[in-house]
Amino acid sequence: MCQVMTYLRLGLVLALAVVCAHAQQNNDRHSIGVKASQIIAANCVGCHGAPIKNAGLDLRKRDTILKGGERGAAVSPGNPELSRIYRQVAHLDAPHMPPGKKLSEEEIQTLKTWIERGVPYEDILDQKEEEARAALAKLEDRPITPAERKWWAFQKVVRPAGMKSIDEFLLDTMRKKGLTPSPAADKRALARRAYLDLTGLPPTIAQLKEFVDDQRPDAYNRLVDKLLDSPHYGERWARHWLDLVRFSDSGGFEYDRERDNAWRYRDYVIRAFNSDKPYDRFLKEQLAGDELYPNSVEARVATGFLRLGVENNIRTEQTRMDELDDIVVTTANSLLGVTVGCARCHNHKFDPIPQKDYYRMQAVFFGTKAEERPLVSDEELKKHKDAVKAIEELQRPIRKEMRAVEQPTRDKIIAKRKSELPDYMRLALATPLEKRTDGQKLNANQVEKTLENIREEDLIAEMPLAARAKRDLLQSQIDDLDRQKPRLDTVMAIMENSKDAPASYFLHRGNIGQKGSKMAPGVLSAATDGEWSFPAPPADAKSSFRRAGFAEWITSPDNPLTARVMVNRIWQNHFGEGIVRTPSNFGKMGERPSHPELLDYLASEFVQSGWSVKHVQRLIMKSAAYQMASDDIEANIKIDADNRFVWRMARRRVEGEVIRDAVLATAGTLDGTVGGPAVYPYIDPALFQSSSKRTWNGKAVNDPSTYRRSVYVFSKRTIPLPMLETFDRPDTMSSCARRNRSTIAPQALILMNNEFIGIQAKHFAQRLEREAGPDTTAQVKLAYELALSREPKADELAKAIGFIQSYPQGLVDFSHALFNINEFVYIP
Amino acid sequence: MNQRFFSRRELLWKAGGGIGGLALSNLMSGASVSPLAPKAGHFPAKAKSIISIFCYGGVSHMDTFDPKPMLKKRAGETIPGKTIVPSQGTPGGLMPALWEFKKYGQCGMDVSDLFPHVAQRVDDIAFIRSMHCISNDHAPALYQMNTGSIQTGYPSLGSWVTYGLGTENQSLPAFVVFTDPRGGPIGGAPNWGNGFMPASYQATPFRPTGDPIVDLKPPEGMTPERQRKWLDFMGKLNEEHWKKNPHDSELAARIESYELAFRMQTSAVEAVDVDKETAATRKMYGLDENITEYFGRQCLMARRLVERGVRMVQIYSGGGNFGESWDAHWDLKENHGQHCAETDKPIAGLLSDLKSRGLLDQTLVIWHGEFGRMPISQRMSGRDHNPQGFTVWMAGGGVKGGTCVGATDEYGLEAVEKPQKVNDLHATILHLMGFDHTRLTYLHNGRYMRLTDVEGEVIKEIVA
Repeated sequence: MCQVMTYLRLGLVLALAVVCAHAQQNNDRHSIGVKASQIIAANCVGCHGAPIKNAGLDLRKRDTILKGGERGAAVSPGNPELSRIYRQVAHLDAPHMPPGKKLSEEEIQTLKTWIERGVPYEDILDQKEEEARAALAKLEDRPITPAERKWWAFQKVVRPAGMKSIDEFLLDTMRKKGLTPSPAADKRALARRAYLDLTGLPPTIAQLKEFVDDQRPDAYNRLVDKLLDSPHYGERWARHWLDLVRFSDSGGFEYDRERDNAWRYRDYVIRAFNSDKPYDRFLKEQLAGDELYPNSVEARVATGFLRLGVENNIRTEQTRMDELDDIVVTTANSLLGVTVGCARCHNHKFDPIPQKDYYRMQAVFFGTKAEERPLVSDEELKKHKDAVKAIEELQRPIRKEMRAVEQPTRDKIIAKRKSELPDYMRLALATPLEKRTDGQKLNANQVEKTLENIREEDLIAEMPLAARAKRDLLQSQIDDLDRQKPRLDTVMAIMENSKDAPASYFLHRGNIGQKGSKMAPGVLSAATDGEWSFPAPPADAKSSFRRAGFAEWITSPDNPLTARVMVNRIWQNHFGEGIVRTPSNFGKMGERPSHPELLDYLASEFVQSGWSVKHVQRLIMKSAAYQMASDDIEANIKIDADNRFVWRMARRRVEGEVIRDAVLATAGTLDGTVGGPAVYPYIDPALFQSSSKRTWNGKAVNDPSTYRRSVYVFSKRTIPLPMLETFDRPDTMSSCARRNRSTIAPQALILMNNEFIGIQAKHFAQRLEREAGPDTTAQVKLAYELALSREPKADELAKAIGFIQSYPQGLVDFSHALFNINEFVYIP
Repeated sequence: MNQRFFSRRELLWKAGGGIGGLALSNLMSGASVSPLAPKAGHFPAKAKSIISIFCYGGVSHMDTFDPKPMLKKRAGETIPGKTIVPSQGTPGGLMPALWEFKKYGQCGMDVSDLFPHVAQRVDDIAFIRSMHCISNDHAPALYQMNTGSIQTGYPSLGSWVTYGLGTENQSLPAFVVFTDPRGGPIGGAPNWGNGFMPASYQATPFRPTGDPIVDLKPPEGMTPERQRKWLDFMGKLNEEHWKKNPHDSELAARIESYELAFRMQTSAVEAVDVDKETAATRKMYGLDENITEYFGRQCLMARRLVERGVRMVQIYSGGGNFGESWDAHWDLKENHGQHCAETDKPIAGLLSDLKSRGLLDQTLVIWHGEFGRMPISQRMSGRDHNPQGFTVWMAGGGVKGGTCVGATDEYGLEAVEKPQKVNDLHATILHLMGFDHTRLTYLHNGRYMRLTDVEGEVIKEIVA
């Protein structure tokens, strides 16, 4: 290499000698080298030097410049046009360097000349340690400007003076825009809307009648209160939260391990909504239940929030970083409505979220560890362990006997394998230990390790019949004992090992090989005044209390994001869209609130009510706005087709879960049990063929024990229930704040042809015959009440009767049609 | 076969009854277009469709397309100065290729005896012998090859392409995947999932026998006439509801989706009906032999699907675990012997058939696994995963045939000459489909996401 370089330099020198005198030439070379070093030292080595070598490139020394980085050579001496350094600083190629600024024309010209002259260089000396550290800290620092702090979402919530109801805020804007509010929805439509919104189930005939017949002026308000008290309310609203926290009953990735205790977190969320657990407490339990409420089992279950992400089966520093990234990103997204994922590698491009904020938040969670926490006392736990040990003692002699039965066959297989080895491997084995080459040592070792390792099926295939029978018997004894091992109920929880959190670092470009400064825990700088102070852990603490400090910040009444983000989500789930239509992005790339004062009004109501979700829902549901009809109004559509200013109730297609639940409820087959372990409805085996762990313990398609609400369907990351998947169930890989609402043909195929739906259509038809008797008119009327919460119009009735009577399967097909029509799947 | 996108007007009339005329003009003006309506790319491109043949488990490059004579010369020895740490078990010495190589075609490309039929097509193929990827674990490596990311939750290549181009046939799914009868690849559906995009862009799994799509067949006793009558009746039941929201294109789209589903019941069955092919064609794909019958059928169906305008078809060879896939941790001879015997003839048949029908130019065929394999032995007779260097190839669709780019070192351990990342491969595929990969973006959680993230360079050497 060195020699080659010498020749190159020599060649260059000779070529230039034609036009230049030698002395002059050397001088030039020297001076251009110094100049280039100065430019590079001032602009480049911060990221391409020590300790950071982005892209594996070190620009401090000539030999490392010539060696280049991951992307190959950085310079081609003599050819600036072929040199990455020149092309990127001259902005001829992306990425432009240095990031975020362009060198002066003079500097670029200098670097060009420098390359033309063969890259002479004055090596840049290493800095002293403290200098290097200070330089690093400066590089990592990205101060927030006062202007950036002024972004609306970072301002404290201010309760607007004067106006005091949702309707006043909305009417005010409508007036300004020339919009007319829609008239009130009819009573039946309103009941159906309220039932679907709050419980996810259509009203029963009795429920509908009760409301329609209630002539008291506050009948509707009573209905809202009643529905908020329903145990099905929690099932419906937990589902929205579970989307947000990417809940699933399995671990994803290669093994997609089933988490048979994840349902406890799901039930915790259902209970939290049903009991209107204050939202601040709800978040504190999930982020730091172990630290703040050490004696509460409920709070331990809540920390499962930090365990819900996918789990890689390979455990390395890198996969741990990915896990933490998932936690930091989901926490910021779902609780704060900001996107921090990009700050893993660089400062946020649009929002004032420095990369350092990301790593300070990562430090909050850095010491966490997964814990399968037993739900029993220490004493009972010891008993359990003793019982398991006793059974293992019984298994030991059986295993020994089994091994003896297998031994002759093992010997036979090993002998055969030896005879089949390639020559070089046999030679390795035959060579005396001390004479083996390195390769022979490896091969001999591999052969010894591998020969003994015989797969069970290969072993069994080679065993004589008698031995095989004996082995089967022993195996069944072991299995029997396995089944006698007691089960231990556990929860998915989080713990830490010590009150001193392990050291974590700023990672340049998110690279674990590019560790920067050590990080202390922190919060979003732009959303807080000064530094948030984290509490010191109590003397006897077993964890760092960083999460407790972080949870205190998130739930502080001064936090500008938490309350706004949550009330916006509540609003979205009642009106189809949020006041901010990008519910998990309150930053610059998100949309601005359509009614900023209304958002602040709701947020302040939320906090003042003691963070009561139901309080906010009462305000929303009891507003006139919520009770408007959803019909088109020609003049309004011309002004605001998107209904941004809420001149009507939005007509929304319900989620797949609600469709499935409504089918069951309408057919009269729904099992309304609340809570408990998940259920496995039937899935066509052809569909989970394509999963690596092809196990789905599905029941028969007509098994009534699976006719539970969809929130209880086992949510397996690689085997989603097709009906839910096709209707836009989130992929459970990352937080989902607003479901896609796609309309695709496979959805129609499922509702038309799927066996489960067909079975329910038959149940529905039987129900009509059972409850309405043989009269077709009565059947159609009942069907409309059950499926659509209304009476049929005269022409609808006539058409339906005509259809039902036109062929023998008419009633079943009519029932089936009701599951398919638009009205069934849209909230009125 | 000319099933171009139906006009909205046509569909509405087909939807039956009087609703067709209902506020039609309003609907036409404010209507949302189907997410899969055909769209133009950034620039004109030859390739219209992709067929990806995914050899799941990891193919040994030094036993197939990347000859390494040094392995024979130094059998049983170590690579000087290199310590190889395998993903599992104990490392062995260098293991020679178990098959011989010969030169083929005008271009004189080296191919081993494992792929005698594909070898006849090398003049149409561009080889990339310097691929490398991040993970040596199956699931993340599969995800990276399919979605650009080793994490789950990202849209697959097929989703990006259908998002960008829509599809030419509205009576068939835009993106179809066939898995191996022994099971799907590790990691399952996210390999062809839509990630953060809408569900319209995910692949529809097709079964090579029986009904291609689950729930495609009407229930027992439901004749086409009865179903037609039923759908027309549903149209009438939808009227009352639609009257209140004549401007709502989503309601119209939903009615439309039932007509599409109705058509799909016949069109999807027809599209994969290989009995319509001549005996000679079936033979070309190996449908007349047991060992090639299954994979051959999938390849032939893939041709029929792209011919009908389907945007991307992905076929997996290998499923389940270890021996069932290309994951030859032991007994490479049997493993690769089996999988190559199953796929060699069908792949070659597919390339010849596409070419003779003039479809190869507009169909990009990609052959790849998730990583390669190690030059040293594992468990005496196998090879471990190797993400540091391996071979993939492409043919048709604007690819320069008979070329080869990049190289691994003399042992096949690492890509050393013109190393190519998965992002580079994806950038090249998108380029061949008419996209600047830096401009094909989707806004998600506040960020304009790309298949190639923030990297990727088009591999110009293999673009015709």
